[in-house]
Amino acid sequence: MENKIFRINRISKSFGSENSDSKVEVIKEISMEILEKEFVVILGNSGCGKSTFLKILGGILPASSGNIEFNGKDYGQEIPRDVLKKFGFVFQNNNLLQWRTTEGNLRFMLEMMHLKGEQWTARIDEMLDIVGLKAYKKEYPHELSGGMRQRVGIARALVHNPDVLILDQPLGALDAITRKMLSYEILNIWKKTQKTVVMVTNNVDEALLLANRIFVLSPVLPTTISHEIQVNIPITARDENIYENQRFNELREMINDIVRSTI
Amino acid sequence: MNTTTAVQKKRKPESIGSGYLNILAPLIVLVILIAALEFFTRAFGISRFVLPPPTDIIAQTISNFPEIWPHFLFTLKIVAIGFMISVPLGMLIAALFSQYEILVKAISPVIIWLVITPMITLIPLIMLWLGTDPNLRVIVVIIQATPIITLNTLNGFTNIEGEKLELAKSVGASKRQTFIKIIFMNAMPQVFTGIKLGCIFSTIGAISADFVAGTVGLGSRIVQYTKYNSIELSYGCIIIIALIGICLFSIVELIEKRIVLWKN
Repeated sequence: MENKIFRINRISKSFGSENSDSKVEVIKEISMEILEKEFVVILGNSGCGKSTFLKILGGILPASSGNIEFNGKDYGQEIPRDVLKKFGFVFQNNNLLQWRTTEGNLRFMLEMMHLKGEQWTARIDEMLDIVGLKAYKKEYPHELSGGMRQRVGIARALVHNPDVLILDQPLGALDAITRKMLSYEILNIWKKTQKTVVMVTNNVDEALLLANRIFVLSPVLPTTISHEIQVNIPITARDENIYENQRFNELREMINDIVRSTI
Repeated sequence: MNTTTAVQKKRKPESIGSGYLNILAPLIVLVILIAALEFFTRAFGISRFVLPPPTDIIAQTISNFPEIWPHFLFTLKIVAIGFMISVPLGMLIAALFSQYEILVKAISPVIIWLVITPMITLIPLIMLWLGTDPNLRVIVVIIQATPIITLNTLNGFTNIEGEKLELAKSVGASKRQTFIKIIFMNAMPQVFTGIKLGCIFSTIGAISADFVAGTVGLGSRIVQYTKYNSIELSYGCIIIIALIGICLFSIVELIEKRIVLWKN
């Protein structure tokens, strides 16, 4: 648990060309360390640049300055392509390939990473089993409900057995009931798979249910970390009854105060 | 293997009834149309120079078919060869240009210009450059059909959601992998739209070439028959040309239905 998997050092990001009026600074000097098997949640309101930060972390965007250390290696401003095998990225709008079945969407990852053989085929079934969609292997995305599609998205991000799972507001596009159900499912997946998870959300309850640590981002651009909160709720208390937990309610009050004071 | 059988199994129940109707309904309309035309041309004594009765068209076309046959084969050959060259060529051009945004911007107006220009206008020039060999009409078909295929395919290649490209990046996909596994597959519906339009444009190209030059091809037959007052045979050739286009179109549509199983 004490191994540092990520060391992020003063990451900044701006869009548009330098020295011009169109330049927008989105992220300013974010630094954090993420431990192995930790569940880190980044909390911020919409438009604050939290997704941009996650895309830098996931190798989709390069940072403008700063550096990222992963597994003790310094990769500078962008995680290189071959290291991305160790990452699984879950998108907000499931982002499934509509021309592939559930199984085909998972296989896409294996094809991209040149992972062949029976153990990987078996792993597709295993992952679909974890998200409860084994019976929907042959369905196309348009035949699945929104919640199911997102679960396929999660299974896809896990199928190549990555070290880190990155979730970009995975529940944002879902209805309230599905959202709640799926948040428990993510908790169970994390318990079962023992991955390091970094998740972005704008929902305080979700953050408290799942996180070991919460980073709150400031709401104005360029954003930076305004608070870091240890969520010391024991794992055994994290279930449907978490709302009765005293610590949960204290922390929730505290975070709501932080969010309110920054608006 | 399993994937396709499962999908077919699931889709069959809904498609049996509607598939039957899909074929039957247009056939009924066709029969009604022919019957109505037959009735009106005879009842109102419409001149056979304007519109001969459909039964006369059919009867005369059948009895003169040995004469039409070689021209039919020739036109079919020109359309088919031209089409089969245009499809890969159009797609290849689109694939190459789509690699660079600046090329897409530079080339799009030219392609639209080529699509709009009726290639019949170029035929006298092409004959001047290349001679009067009727087989050269394949070139007319190619320059008529390729731009429309390129235009649609290029559209498909460039209109891709940013999220899909982010997915490619997040898995560390190479440029080649991104193109084959994401951009190309994503564009499949538009590629097929381009190919289907290519069917229509190929037929137009072949017939317009016939009109301008030569004594072979169904187009030249129409000119001849009209000249010698065989209006029934002119109509017969028009129908045969339409059938060539429809067959080509239907074949492509059939292939599309087997490949594009998803909804966008």
